[in-house]
Amino acid sequence: MFGIPVHIVLPTLFGSLLGGLLCSLMGVFVVRMNLSSLGFAMSHAAFAGAALGLAVSGLDPLWMAIVFAVAIAAILGPLSQVSRLEPNTIIGVSFPVMMALGLIFINLAPSASVGSGALSLLWGSVLGITMNDVYKLGLLAVVMIAVLVLFGKEFLAILLDRKLAAASGVNTRVYYYLVLFLTAITVALALRITGGLLIYALMILPASAAYQLVYDIKKIFVLAPILGVLSALGGFLLSLAADLPIGASIVLAAAAVFFACVGLSPKRRRQQKAG
Amino acid sequence: MECPPIAFDNVTATYEGERIPALHGISLTVLPCELVGIIGPNGAGKTTLLEVVNGLLPITTGTVRVLGEPVGPSSHGLRQQIAYLPQDLFFDPSTPFLAGDVVLMGRSAVIGVFRFPSKADRALVTEAMAAVGVADLAARPIGRLSGGQQRKVLLARVLAKRPQILLLDEPTANLDPESKDELSHTVLQIHRELSLATLTVSHEAGPLLDWADRVLTIERGRLVSDTVGNGSVAPTAMHAQIG
Repeated sequence: MFGIPVHIVLPTLFGSLLGGLLCSLMGVFVVRMNLSSLGFAMSHAAFAGAALGLAVSGLDPLWMAIVFAVAIAAILGPLSQVSRLEPNTIIGVSFPVMMALGLIFINLAPSASVGSGALSLLWGSVLGITMNDVYKLGLLAVVMIAVLVLFGKEFLAILLDRKLAAASGVNTRVYYYLVLFLTAITVALALRITGGLLIYALMILPASAAYQLVYDIKKIFVLAPILGVLSALGGFLLSLAADLPIGASIVLAAAAVFFACVGLSPKRRRQQKAG
Repeated sequence: MECPPIAFDNVTATYEGERIPALHGISLTVLPCELVGIIGPNGAGKTTLLEVVNGLLPITTGTVRVLGEPVGPSSHGLRQQIAYLPQDLFFDPSTPFLAGDVVLMGRSAVIGVFRFPSKADRALVTEAMAAVGVADLAARPIGRLSGGQQRKVLLARVLAKRPQILLLDEPTANLDPESKDELSHTVLQIHRELSLATLTVSHEAGPLLDWADRVLTIERGRLVSDTVGNGSVAPTAMHAQIG
């Protein structure tokens, strides 16, 4: 396909599709619960963690990405609630710190690993995904869908209004942290597809596009992953056809989907009529 | 002897980061089937009182017992018996939830973890929506309903839960006079039909306060009066009005 051996293309294709599905599913939570700043912080923490994994021999970049993303969720999640930090403050603090750490770790990494690994962490790589990564993403997809189905009514309750859910007897704290944890794992596992700088966009754009089209959250949970997968497929093909970085291509495809959905949005048309 | 649904003993509660208590030395008891109105100026501590009953705000000193159990932030099981209608909860037009689903969510904790809503749960939702006159709105997005319709949907959510205690925070605020009257009648009907212990907060006079068995006045976090209301005088007359 496009002159690249199939055994290299297929893992990237499957990984991209699974990444699009997972990121957009978690994006439904991130968008509705105003967790954008935390998602942003997690993606850069995952980048810093993976860079540490490259710098120190014996550490697995993937596991370090997971550890960093989960750690930042575990720290910033409660901190943002207790201290009522503004989202802009969270971004303002976490973004430069995590980027600085990531760049320092890349600088410390042995030169052999910098060329292939570090760049794919920054903006993704067609060659960066292996079948092993695909299996992990597939396993996460199965686990995530099972969790979403099992705790569906509790998740829907906190998505409507956390205070109302708490007052109804739902243990909102448990489900809030479950959302953060799943988001962190997703970001870490999908990091090699779009890279640390753009993974956040794959989470926000398809979910935001789905929110434009329908009023029923249950349909949004079906539509967002479909748009995520379409974005990933479009970006993948664009990347191969034009020899562009895959992460940037996927994000551009997702942005195109988002703007198309904004244009078609029945919600906006109604608001314009009402206005 | 049956324990009272709500019992406060010298309760003080302070919001995180505040130095002055929002509630100070409150002692009160609410009896089964009692409709208690709470009045007071803005910032007096009326909403705080409801949050303490619901365990959403931890107390600093004293004891609070709800249905005989001490209540606190981790009283998730106890909250299944309490229905709470918060103040000023309105949904913007883009809110991606259908009215019927919002009502069903009121039963989330009652249904329990790892369980899915049954036919009986859905039947309760339909029944509750019909009882408050919003059955035809089940498939409509909640954010696209009027303020009065949204309040009714939230009341249906309360009703579908089948609670023992009902907490209403300014239930008729921001509604037109006709909707206020209609909603007040519905609340009274729910209160009586389910034999609930009901606390309703208001900063202005209205039908619900007129029908209350007792009216508590709170000022600056202190209970300054506890008077017998009209509800205890003429309950039969009230039933006649609803019918």
